[in-house]
Amino acid sequence: MDVLAGLIQTAFLAGGVLALAALGEVLAERVGVVNLGVEGLMALGAVTAIATVLAVPIPALGFAAALAVGLVVGMAFALATVVVRANQVLCGLALTLIGTGLAATIGKAYSGMPAPATFRPIHIPVLSDLPFLGRALFSHNVLVYLIFFILPVILHGLMFRTRHGLNMRAVGENPAAADAAGINVMAFRFWYTAIGAAMAAGSGAYLTLAFVPSWSEGVVAGRGWIAVALVIFAGFRPINAAGAALLFGFITALGFVGQARNWPIAASILSMLPYLGTITLIIVPVVAVQRMRRLMAAPAALSVPFFRDMR
Amino acid sequence: MTLIRELSRRGFLNMGAAAGLGLMLPKTGLIRPAFAAAPLPPVAEEAAMIAWGYVGPTADEGWTWAHDQGRLAVEKAFPKLKTSFVESVPYSADASRIYRQFVADGANMVFANSNYGDFLYDVAKRAPEVAFYECDGRLAMENLGTYYVQHWYPSYVTGVAAGLMSKTGKLGYVASFPVPSVYSGTNAFLMGARSVNPAATVQAIVINSWFDPQAAAQAGTALLDNGCDVLFGIMDEAAYLQVAEQRGAKAVMWNTDIRRYGPSAYISSIMVDFGPWYVEQVRRRLAGEWTPSEDILPMAKGVDRDAWGESVPPEVAAQADAAREKILSGWSPFTGEIKDSNGAIKVAAGQTMTERELYEWNWSIEGVSGLDA
Repeated sequence: MDVLAGLIQTAFLAGGVLALAALGEVLAERVGVVNLGVEGLMALGAVTAIATVLAVPIPALGFAAALAVGLVVGMAFALATVVVRANQVLCGLALTLIGTGLAATIGKAYSGMPAPATFRPIHIPVLSDLPFLGRALFSHNVLVYLIFFILPVILHGLMFRTRHGLNMRAVGENPAAADAAGINVMAFRFWYTAIGAAMAAGSGAYLTLAFVPSWSEGVVAGRGWIAVALVIFAGFRPINAAGAALLFGFITALGFVGQARNWPIAASILSMLPYLGTITLIIVPVVAVQRMRRLMAAPAALSVPFFRDMR
Repeated sequence: MTLIRELSRRGFLNMGAAAGLGLMLPKTGLIRPAFAAAPLPPVAEEAAMIAWGYVGPTADEGWTWAHDQGRLAVEKAFPKLKTSFVESVPYSADASRIYRQFVADGANMVFANSNYGDFLYDVAKRAPEVAFYECDGRLAMENLGTYYVQHWYPSYVTGVAAGLMSKTGKLGYVASFPVPSVYSGTNAFLMGARSVNPAATVQAIVINSWFDPQAAAQAGTALLDNGCDVLFGIMDEAAYLQVAEQRGAKAVMWNTDIRRYGPSAYISSIMVDFGPWYVEQVRRRLAGEWTPSEDILPMAKGVDRDAWGESVPPEVAAQADAAREKILSGWSPFTGEIKDSNGAIKVAAGQTMTERELYEWNWSIEGVSGLDA
């Protein structure tokens, strides 16, 4: 029981990195922009956060600084992909290369310094002392609650319960029709791409301020790509994306526990588990139930630049 | 599985490993191959260029950082020569390109701080006037030597301290890959711990990376959740030390002094120091005395335990240091009878493992689980 509580606790902690980046990517892809620069944005956010808290030891400030850097870089990316209409895949790859390289260069001065201030787990009276749930659910830092319980619900409400969200989805499905209906396609695409990028950088900050509280080159270790993949698995839905990230974190932690308890499965198979598990649990329903295919489909205009005069 | 276990510390590539040439000098671990070839001609210090190919970034606070300190020591000892380095050299044909570039730039001596195998041998064969060294290599050639450290002795010494400080007797190990460095590390650590607590065990988790702070943190958490209270590992970063610090457990690290990440969890570290050895090799090269060697630097001359952490009681430190002194005076803890994880006797009673056998250790002793499938 204690092991299971520990498992769930690590799943939240490790999954938070993926969840925040994936939620950002959901926003960008819902308006029709594929941002493959998540890995680079995470690296930039991670180094920004550590540089900020080393100067001013307030973790919230480090997180905010990372969001700001992500927003600015995201606006540059949106300028290239939405306004100039350059190829989104190439721009995204370029952003990853620039982001990881720039972060490594800036980070030289900060590597080997533990974060002086981090997001600590909050002790909630009564709830944190519950026997099982206390450790599994109620002994996290503030960002975990934000990423898993507050943000997905807000984004879901925004996207599926408001007219603004309907417009947003229309921009991703059929920008020409949305444009004809008087929706400002460019503005939607530009700003949601930039906000999504800010969230990716925020997940980098989560990494250095809450999960592994120090910066080192390569600290992101490919999690940005996994976040991009999770968005597709999650059917471009915020609550599913957070759930997929949690599932991924859970199965990863399960693989380590399996090794620690000497399950008779080869370590290499156990480390494949997160990928196998995520694919199985999310693809099987789509294959099995016809209706799911429509629900999980990508926005029709994903990665297609919008030219007003070429309807 | 058999294949990967034959591989060495940082490599996947050096399959065609040939056994040592020449004669192993007892106790020093130094093997000087009997190449008939004349030493390479001397080089003036002003004209010399020495190059390093690094497997990671110099800012990694681990393996590559330690090697870069060695490069700085060379610069200090020979201020007039030029040094050059490339970070994060991949294990691919790109490595050959980078090493060839060193040769084209006029390097007189090239060090690779990991085993690049054929990617390096191809370059070395075509540049007979350049001296090459491959860290953790297995094959020496007329202009290529190998070097590594006898990290199993400090692993044993820190194992003694870990055995005394562990309350549960369960030790955890965050492993990269099932390669000889990991086998010798876990085995030596447990043998040290068992010398003071015969019931001690080591549980290893393989994370398939030398550098993945996120995976190492999760592995460390899983080990602590399963009853381990002292962690050891072979990572180029400090993630599991930070986990141990948060959870009130202890940890032994690798490469450098990184106690600031977890001052109260820090027991010690397997510290590597290649500086004096690098300086000596460069001196030999400049003086025209250089012939290739196969060196495994012994404890206190290239590898050692770090100063004990603040939470290590003086009597624990004294007992571990007594083991260290005993090893330095010639005793080997790696003396039979030693059984493998299946209970089969691998080293007969009274028989002592040679440095080469320790260097190429590829099976777990009884009590180590998680590596042998």
